[in-house]
Amino acid sequence: MKNNLNLYLIEFAINALLRAKSKNIFILVVFTLLTALLTAVFLITGSIKHELQSTVDALPQITVQKIKAGRHYDIDTSVADEILTIAGVSEAVPRVWGYYYFENAGVNFSVVGIEQYEAQYKDSFAKLVEKFDFEELSSQSSMVVGRGVKEVMSSSYYKEYFNFIKPDGSLKKVTVAGVFDGDTELESNDMILMSKEDVREIFDMQEGKATDIVVKVPNPEEVTTVASKIKLMYPDTRVISSTDLKISYQNIFDYKSGVFLALFVVALFTFFMIIYDKASGLSSEEKREIGILKAIGWRVDDILKEKFYESFILSFLAYLFGILSAFGFVYLLQAPLLREIFVGYSQLKTSFELPFVFEIQTLFLVFFLSVPIYIAATIIPSWRAATLEVDEVIR
Amino acid sequence: MILAPEVLAILILNSIFLLFSLVAFVLSVRIFIKWDMSATTQEQYGLEKQSFLAATIIKYIFAIKLPLFLFFVFTLDKISTLLTGAMCGAGVVDATDYGSYLLILKLMNLYLFGFWLTLHYLDIKSPNLPYTRLKFEFFIVAFLFLLVEIVLEGVMFGSIDIDKMVSCCGTLYSSSSTSAISGIFSIDTTVMLTLFYGNFLFMVIFYMMRYQYLFAISNLAFIVVALISLIQFFGTYIYELPTHHCPFCFLQSDYYFVGYLIYSLLFLGTFYGMRVGVVKMLDEDRGKGFKLSMIFNGVYVVLVTAYPIFYFIRNGVWL
Amino acid sequence: MITLKNTTKTYEINKNNSVTALDNITINIKEGELVVLKGVSGSGKSTILSLIAALTKPTIGEVIVNEKRVSKLPDNFASDYRQQDIGFIFQKYNLIPTLSVQDNILLPLVPTNPDEVEAKAKLDRVMEQFNIAHKKDTMVRSLSGGEQQRVAIARAHINDPKIIIADEPTANLDEKLSLDFIEILRGLKDSGKTIVVATHDPLFFNLDIVDRVIEVQGGKIL
Repeated sequence: MKNNLNLYLIEFAINALLRAKSKNIFILVVFTLLTALLTAVFLITGSIKHELQSTVDALPQITVQKIKAGRHYDIDTSVADEILTIAGVSEAVPRVWGYYYFENAGVNFSVVGIEQYEAQYKDSFAKLVEKFDFEELSSQSSMVVGRGVKEVMSSSYYKEYFNFIKPDGSLKKVTVAGVFDGDTELESNDMILMSKEDVREIFDMQEGKATDIVVKVPNPEEVTTVASKIKLMYPDTRVISSTDLKISYQNIFDYKSGVFLALFVVALFTFFMIIYDKASGLSSEEKREIGILKAIGWRVDDILKEKFYESFILSFLAYLFGILSAFGFVYLLQAPLLREIFVGYSQLKTSFELPFVFEIQTLFLVFFLSVPIYIAATIIPSWRAATLEVDEVIR
Repeated sequence: MILAPEVLAILILNSIFLLFSLVAFVLSVRIFIKWDMSATTQEQYGLEKQSFLAATIIKYIFAIKLPLFLFFVFTLDKISTLLTGAMCGAGVVDATDYGSYLLILKLMNLYLFGFWLTLHYLDIKSPNLPYTRLKFEFFIVAFLFLLVEIVLEGVMFGSIDIDKMVSCCGTLYSSSSTSAISGIFSIDTTVMLTLFYGNFLFMVIFYMMRYQYLFAISNLAFIVVALISLIQFFGTYIYELPTHHCPFCFLQSDYYFVGYLIYSLLFLGTFYGMRVGVVKMLDEDRGKGFKLSMIFNGVYVVLVTAYPIFYFIRNGVWL
Repeated sequence: MITLKNTTKTYEINKNNSVTALDNITINIKEGELVVLKGVSGSGKSTILSLIAALTKPTIGEVIVNEKRVSKLPDNFASDYRQQDIGFIFQKYNLIPTLSVQDNILLPLVPTNPDEVEAKAKLDRVMEQFNIAHKKDTMVRSLSGGEQQRVAIARAHINDPKIIIADEPTANLDEKLSLDFIEILRGLKDSGKTIVVATHDPLFFNLDIVDRVIEVQGGKIL
């Protein structure tokens, strides 16, 4: 079979691109930036999703919260004992925790209570319990803080201790006993660990109450059944399973990148118009050239094909450059500015490394959002050029 | 409503298709009404030029639609993780009333656009442009199908309710279910396989005798028979599970994306096969069509047959 | 070989205005003839060339070349016809200035995706014939007028067409180069080509190789 790829024509197309150098470089740069931006967004959301998913994986399968008047309310610790009697449940642990807003720095800390001789619902906590004795910490009113928290406190000149302001306005002084690193940075960055007693005191919580209860079900197939049983036993609770969480995370980030994409459409449309305009504005030199080609026997289809090669080469190059620079931007430079949009929360939360996640689908996705759109914008101008009245342009 | 970026990408491309196909449609209508090869008017020359634009647009849409179809199937698969209960694309297709129609329509449109290109190719080969009116008449119809597809796609993605529980493929494609699809399970496996290989055998005979119309018809029948036998019989060997009949799961990475290969082969084989019968062609082209069709269909048959055979060799029993 | 039958060509400037470039003319040119179309610019002689090359279509009448009704050819077929049967030499040479000599000469072959060996053979033949081989890698824009003219002729010949059409070929050449060009024409005529030259250069009117001079004025033949 004859080789269908016309190298002569491709060479001509490349030559034609080089001839209109400044115009094409301009398009290349703008288009590369657009694809890079788009790819970067997908890469960032992909990374964060991955990071969050692994956080979710580390979470207990089921979380039980008490709901009163439509709001989250403290739950009785005795509920945990009841839940333990359900077949299939291996652990049910009441958690005591909350967010503490540190006004000076304008950030939120997650304050988590830990009891020394209780089953730990997180591996990282179990490790901590081995390292620090929380019984002892409790008697001295001290705490273990995440690395990020440590930095924030230091910059407010709290080196050895920290003063928590209790709901009644009085102060509670807690000393810093150590610093820890969590499994994921996102998690450990804003976390403060101390004994449950101290946490209750800071948040003014009653003895025998907990923030929520986490349930461990060894067999993943039974999670849904157990969750519905708990719901039946305690109709006033909200039962969240980790599968639900995963889906809602996925949704949130799909939604975020979706909203971004929706905004991006505007940019894309603008670009479409620019290309259309650039491609339509043929100089008399270009017109004459097409006239010559037709006069010496090029078909309309040949010229259309040549124009297609031009736009394909240009847009595909931009696509490649865009992808490459996005990878560099996100994983080497850690996506300055852009990732703030997607991470949200306080300043503290954002100081984690984006893990390298590569999904081939992103490449296809970006491809469909770049190359075909560029080519579409050049269809009508190319056709106009290809069907010029030869007679009028070559004289 | 699902706002996944993949879905948006499809919708964005759809709006481009809509815009451009609308242009092509208007040109088609104009050409269809006013085309007169013997006229020497400025208008006729103008129409000849416009026919290039219409043809280019249609070629563009087809060229993008082909890979986009695979992307669409992939997207269904991806958003299935968002729907409670769905394990693969089947659940998403089933999540709304439009899913299965959309899928069939999409496939049909690919065939339609493919045939349009064949007609176009034949048309521009002859200096009288004998099929120009016909091909644009054909496009007017194809455009309406495309329009329905685009609207349906928008409606489908718009009406998927993330919070609603959907069925997974296990229940959709099981012999106990009452859905229309499960009707095919009432066919006996032996009958089914006889039909499948019999159909292929006829195809080979018609190929050797060069009966173009019978060959095309046997290809048309082959689409149906091949799909049913794939769901009912061959699929189970891909999964190595006698109860798993899903035509979507083997698109996933667990089965090395083999589904994309299977469907592409089937599409190409039957497309070239039906093309042979559609229009008058030069002998050389028809010969090529016959051959391509035979190759793709042949590879398809070998591929799906290989699954049960290898299963038997390894395990010594049939499912 | 070439027949224009009762041909009229009107250009529409806008809805209400049109210009008649050719008014009901009939021309017959036999194979191997060298015909000169004489007339001032705007007389319609360029339009006759365009009609023969199927670059434009007549408003009334028809153009028949080699028993082919080229006036009714669809665009793509008109291009094929030009590619195979016509060698066009323009007044301004109409080369692409930023391509090299050989790339310019190869241009008519590009869409056919030619075999490399075959293309090279054709290229070498015409570059030899028109004495431009020594400049094959030079950019066209840095060539002299005469050299550009030869490149244009070489390009017109790459497919060895039966018909050569030249539009004011000597307008940008001095007398010596014009005489060189006429020698080239003589060679082409000897090899049996049909040649149509549109010019107002008096040099052509009394040449021995010219079979006929047709005078065109105001869109009519005198």
